[in-house]
Amino acid sequence: MSRSLKFVYAILSLAVASCGVADDKTSGELTVAEILTSEDFETGHFSYGELATAEQIAGWDIDIRPDGLGLPPGGATAEDGEMLYEEKCASCHGSFGEGVGRYPVLAGGEGSLTEARPEKTVGSFWPYASTLWDYIHRAMPFTEPESLSDTEVYAITAYVLYLNDLVEYDFELTQDNLAEIEMPNKDGFFLDDRPDVVAVRCMENCKEPGSVEITSEPQIDEAEPVVEVDVAAEIAAPGKEIYERACALCHASGVGEAPIPGDAKAWAERIAGGRDMLINSAISGKGIMPPKGGQLQLSDEEVISAVDFIISLSAD
Amino acid sequence: MADRLRGDKRMGEETINTKNLLETISREGEKLPRSERRDFLKQGLLLAGGALAGATVANTARADGSGIPPSVPNWSKSLGPGVLTNPYGRPSKYEDHIVRRNVPWLTADRIASISFTPLAELSGIITPSSLVFERYHAGIPQIDPSEHRLMIHGMVDRPIILTVDDLKRFPSTSMIRFLECPANGGMEWRGAQMDALQFTHGMLSCCEWTGVMLSTLLQEVGLKKDAAWVLAEGADGAHMSRSIPMEKAMDDALIVYAQNGEPLRPEQGYPIRLINPGWEGNTCVKWLRRLEVGDEAWYHREETSKYTDLLADGRARKFSYVQECNSVVTFPCPEKPLTEKGRYEVQGLAWSGKGKIKHVDVSFDGGVNWRPAKLKGLVLPKALTRFGLEWDWDGSPALIQSRAVDETGYVQPTYTQLRDARGSSSIYHKNAIHTWRLYDSGKVTNVQIT
Repeated sequence: MSRSLKFVYAILSLAVASCGVADDKTSGELTVAEILTSEDFETGHFSYGELATAEQIAGWDIDIRPDGLGLPPGGATAEDGEMLYEEKCASCHGSFGEGVGRYPVLAGGEGSLTEARPEKTVGSFWPYASTLWDYIHRAMPFTEPESLSDTEVYAITAYVLYLNDLVEYDFELTQDNLAEIEMPNKDGFFLDDRPDVVAVRCMENCKEPGSVEITSEPQIDEAEPVVEVDVAAEIAAPGKEIYERACALCHASGVGEAPIPGDAKAWAERIAGGRDMLINSAISGKGIMPPKGGQLQLSDEEVISAVDFIISLSAD
Repeated sequence: MADRLRGDKRMGEETINTKNLLETISREGEKLPRSERRDFLKQGLLLAGGALAGATVANTARADGSGIPPSVPNWSKSLGPGVLTNPYGRPSKYEDHIVRRNVPWLTADRIASISFTPLAELSGIITPSSLVFERYHAGIPQIDPSEHRLMIHGMVDRPIILTVDDLKRFPSTSMIRFLECPANGGMEWRGAQMDALQFTHGMLSCCEWTGVMLSTLLQEVGLKKDAAWVLAEGADGAHMSRSIPMEKAMDDALIVYAQNGEPLRPEQGYPIRLINPGWEGNTCVKWLRRLEVGDEAWYHREETSKYTDLLADGRARKFSYVQECNSVVTFPCPEKPLTEKGRYEVQGLAWSGKGKIKHVDVSFDGGVNWRPAKLKGLVLPKALTRFGLEWDWDGSPALIQSRAVDETGYVQPTYTQLRDARGSSSIYHKNAIHTWRLYDSGKVTNVQIT
């Protein structure tokens, strides 16, 4: 196979290019002619690295396909997922999938795709349920990716589908039936058919000179307060950068009821508990706050500097 | 004053103390009409933030004109620091305002977010590694290269695991190619919104990339019959993943470990990333840890929920990989206004994911008449191409535009044409002709026109 590989794809690319579907040939480092004449070699010609064992592959092979390929054995109901969702997901996505702040909305938005402000949710937009399982497993919860068990992923997936009225509360989502879940917008996508716009290179008198009008300019909201910069605080804040990297994710917006620095009332009791207690919570985690804000590469000293920064802003 | 605040070359001529700067901004702002004042204050505050980091060093430099002819400057009459003062080098302290910036309201946090390249401050076609725009879905993983592995498996004869050193033993290839987020300019679909080139077009960079052709690696592992797609996956917390068609994988896709001659920056995927020349930046998966060969696409989150283009009729275009032909004038622009009447070289950048730039035309009257610009320096496929045009400014207001044509004959469209075809909810792939409004004062703002 390997010897003819480049030939096959060169011909394939040529065919594609001649149809005008993806006229990409002129732009690569190699032209079709160069591919055809470039040196071909056998599989394993270099033999660098090691052969991957089944066990090694299993540890990293996490992808799931719409046909269910890659799903592990198991299953769970939306009911199983309710408390988990509330604990692991609701602080950003809202208890009903409505989204907190700028974090993604997960449910609702049916029929909104043609509106001026479409709401693209799992229910209104996503074509496959497999994508939900795959993404929750690979990337969620945001601060602790790949921390959920397979059963927990089934449970949360089922619950998000339930929030979108796609399954019943007691429906058990399993390895065998996930691919059969029919998503409302599964036929809503089509393959790239650009260029979809054909413009002309006109050079003179391309439109009526008097017809040119400005239709929009950036709007500066007069009601918006001018940002007050506290220069003293900015300069004397060694932990600020760490705070922004590790803590601001939740603490700047108050996501998950995280107290916002500068809110003296919210911090009064916590600060009264002592700096050591705050440091301990920041390093070890507390409630839904993961250890070191999920950024385990930070040293204890760096986390402490961020705690001191927060205290400096929040002490009454 | 305004020029200096915008980062003009005279930035270092006065003590840059942030507190003083803020006071000066506020004082100067009082003299302006109300409508312009707020704009001015905002730009000043932005710069003050940027100047903060360099405030201490800048404080020591006081320019008093004693170095201008006929006087001889002090640096010509003394010794400077020796070798290894900065072992890895750094820009002049007078250029501290040239930094990436972000738009805080765009994203919920700075972990899954984006920053913008300061295009107005750059010359030629290469983006310095330090200024390449950033896009993360789970922050920058802190990878120890000795423990990083690339696994290639799936429908292959010989699944393998490579170290970074293994990769570097393969025959290497270098190419200069642009990198652009498909959301570049996405904030402008519903009308002009951002008042700086950095924010209207700054999800764009161009580097020399060095690595191994993906086709070489796929030949090395041997493809099974029906192999048609490659899944690329990152080692970051988001395990960023995209399905790449085999045609592209066997064409010009490159697994890179270096940019602009140095090891990849952590922000750009250290120790290795995928580069799909001319395609959406997100397909160029960073911190690459795995390539799986399969017979169908995976339809993961970043190719269904995101990075699909919603049209007015409610349908969405999928696998819209190519970044179509685009261009923008980089001088003048809001960050680089004109200072006086006279002769200028208007400059800009053009690029196409389908090949080389063939022509760029510039209009000063909002697209009524166009003049061909000169393509300058290297004109490479799927790379930024710089253009320039000599222009005598008589002090009149103008509507300045550029329009690029690539070697396939594709002509960059207008906003009206794009919206007629797609509506205004696509978010991605906005490559419309851009308009700068030049005032008689020399000030430049972002506008959209009929």
